[in-house]
Amino acid sequence: MANKKVDTTKLGVFMIAGVGFLVMLLYVIGKNQNLFGKTFAFRAQFENVHGLMPGNNVRFAGIDAGSVKTVEVLDDTIIEVTLLVKTKMKKFIHRNAKISIATDGLIGNMVVNIEPSKLPAPEVEEGDVLQGVKGLNTDEMLKVLNQTNNDIASIATEIKHTVMRINKSKALWEVLEDESLPANVRQSLQRLKAATVSINHILADVSVVVNDVRDGKGTIGKLVRDSSIALAATEAVDKIKNIGVAADSLSSRINGFVAGITSDVNEGKGTIHTLLKDETMAQQLRNGVGDIEHDARALKEVMEALKQSFLFRGYFRRQEKQKRERSGKGGKY
Amino acid sequence: MLPEPIPVVKAKATAEPVIAIHELAKSFGDNQVLAHFDLVLNQGENLVVLGKSGSGKSVLIKCIIRLLEPDSGSIQVLGENIVDLNEEALDRLRVKIGFLFQGNALYDSMTVRQNLEFPLRRHWMNVSQGEVDGLVMEALDNVGLEETLDMMPEELSGGMRKRIALARTLILKPDIILYDEPTTGLDPITGKEISELMIEVQHKYKTSSLIISHDMKCIRRTADRIIVLLDGRCYAEGTYAELERSSDPQVKNFFE
Amino acid sequence: MNTSENTKAFFTETGAISSFAARFFKQVYKPRFELNEFIRQCYVIGYQSLPLIGLTGFIMGLVLTIQLRPSLTEYGVEAQLPSMISVAVFRELGPVITALIFAGKIGSSIGAELGSMRVTEQIDAMEVSGTNPFKYLVVTRVLATTLMLPILVLLADAIALYGSYLGVNIRGNTSFSLFYTQVTGILEFGDVLPAFIKTFFFGFAIGVIGCYKGYHSRKGTEGVGRSANMAVVISSVTVFVIDLVAVQVTDILNLN
Repeated sequence: MANKKVDTTKLGVFMIAGVGFLVMLLYVIGKNQNLFGKTFAFRAQFENVHGLMPGNNVRFAGIDAGSVKTVEVLDDTIIEVTLLVKTKMKKFIHRNAKISIATDGLIGNMVVNIEPSKLPAPEVEEGDVLQGVKGLNTDEMLKVLNQTNNDIASIATEIKHTVMRINKSKALWEVLEDESLPANVRQSLQRLKAATVSINHILADVSVVVNDVRDGKGTIGKLVRDSSIALAATEAVDKIKNIGVAADSLSSRINGFVAGITSDVNEGKGTIHTLLKDETMAQQLRNGVGDIEHDARALKEVMEALKQSFLFRGYFRRQEKQKRERSGKGGKY
Repeated sequence: MLPEPIPVVKAKATAEPVIAIHELAKSFGDNQVLAHFDLVLNQGENLVVLGKSGSGKSVLIKCIIRLLEPDSGSIQVLGENIVDLNEEALDRLRVKIGFLFQGNALYDSMTVRQNLEFPLRRHWMNVSQGEVDGLVMEALDNVGLEETLDMMPEELSGGMRKRIALARTLILKPDIILYDEPTTGLDPITGKEISELMIEVQHKYKTSSLIISHDMKCIRRTADRIIVLLDGRCYAEGTYAELERSSDPQVKNFFE
Repeated sequence: MNTSENTKAFFTETGAISSFAARFFKQVYKPRFELNEFIRQCYVIGYQSLPLIGLTGFIMGLVLTIQLRPSLTEYGVEAQLPSMISVAVFRELGPVITALIFAGKIGSSIGAELGSMRVTEQIDAMEVSGTNPFKYLVVTRVLATTLMLPILVLLADAIALYGSYLGVNIRGNTSFSLFYTQVTGILEFGDVLPAFIKTFFFGFAIGVIGCYKGYHSRKGTEGVGRSANMAVVISSVTVFVIDLVAVQVTDILNLN
């Protein structure tokens, strides 16, 4: 059976190609799982590991640094995770590093994040036990975002009411006749403008966050880790609340003005023409109101889009259900 | 004249039997092909088994080489009962038996040279390439086809294939050659050549031959002794001349 | 044939194939080792199947990528395309599709080759020359299919991933290094090793069944055709059965 000439070289190339591919594949997988290269192990304790499994990645400041070796339950509140980390990362990890468990992307695997702390501390050693930090999870993130949205929406409504009242108020126009008032009014409007700018900034920040989440860029993890954004979000809520308060006081002040002006006008003092002729002033007032309305709308759209996105669909459905249940039980919340 | 059943001749005292079959029986399902069959092949003898097609001639020689397992009876080949041998002993014994297939059974994916080398390489593992080449050329020389050395079997004519098959059989220098219808399917001239070659080979290597055939010309040329196989039994026995003169109508049939 | 006869025939066939496989294991350790024939079979069965296997692998990877993209886009996880293809190809599609193509090409060719050798008495000729055709024909081929299929599967996997890479880049733009990172990043030993091990069983089954069908071919041209055909049918089904068993074994052993 040798009529077909056997080219042993070709057969050899064929064999080596196949076996070589297998070896390469196994090597790459092994490398990904840190089977090769020097590693050291230390432990971290958590209350809840959110389904972390051996083999999940360990990241140091967002860089793949190793993998989870074991997950063991020590007692009912402590779960100990052994982390296998590349030895070359050892000098960067200190004992006060923050270790948390998070999701890699919105639907990805669990990962262990090691965040360096700014404060000095000794280097971590083989076998050390570190305390894990409770990480933020997606649900909590979304709760905060929703709260922010509600706050902004109600503030926007209030501001709109105020402005409409200003617009519709005959008294105001009469007030405007008063020559002595422009300075005061201008000051108030400037405050309002400042508030608007501040809201714009906050809205921009929130939009970025929301957009990223919607794009599924896996930024939830990033968000969780990036304390500056988290801080910004919290700050934003606070600021918006402040603006609400400011807007309230502003409207009451304007009311006061109007009352005062009305009486002034009744007495036949001042003139409105000065104010009415001030085109830039009127334009600014209109722009300010327009900006607020636009931003409120944009935010609403972002939230709608977020609701459409399938990843969050479940979450929002749950929210609505809760809402229904609560109102069903009688009484608004 | 009454038909005279010719008595079975037992092995002559002078010649030692190379094959002795006793009470051989073989059936396929309900079809009893061989029953109480006895046969003796003596050293250096050309024995022809004559019978109609389907009479069990092929079954008989396939039982001798144990391509078929007999139902009962004994087959002594070169002093060993081939029925009882294990696989290795059987293979050793088979080397001493040549078998020429009706369809030649040349390995059609190998050249003539590879066909001839095939058994050689597997039995005499420590012979050099030079010796193998020598043996191959000798075998081809015996059949007069040296020029076909590197040809494929499909390029050869029917007669040439038969010769190559014979050469392949001869290359292991067997003591016994079993021919399964050696001239069937060949034209009369080629058939004659093959018959002559068979005799030539027998003289040269002093082999004993068992020939299965119904070609009377071939039988007349080659047979020392003839056994007529009928109804699964040895019906008649004798030389060509004896059987030709037989008055038995069944035997006569063959010679008409 | 009625049902009970069919059932009986099925079990008879299964038993016969099993004992044929057992015979392989008995013979494989015994000398003489037909090394040259084994290497030649590796060349024919392995290397010469590569163009076909490579082509099907390439198309498999390409088509799978194009087909999967819309669904993944719908769920917004288009970026996961390479990872998904990688797991699908390594775990299941590569081994099974390659094994099926292999069964079609090699199963039938072994079935037909040995079948025609059986029918033209070439196997008998080897047997009567005491050269152990089982070792020469069956052991070499079964070993070759067992060892070559895993290599073919690995190469088909690699080629399929290349096809997938092109498929990913038909729409969208993924650099080779990102593709490579995604493909290898998701793989674990549990994805590659069980799939690799099962290909040996696929290869063995295809070889044994092809050889069995050819070795026990019935006479006539129809018998050969039937052998080749049945070799493909039975070995294809067996591939799926082994796949089923393999997935359960890996599941029980927790290798997933």
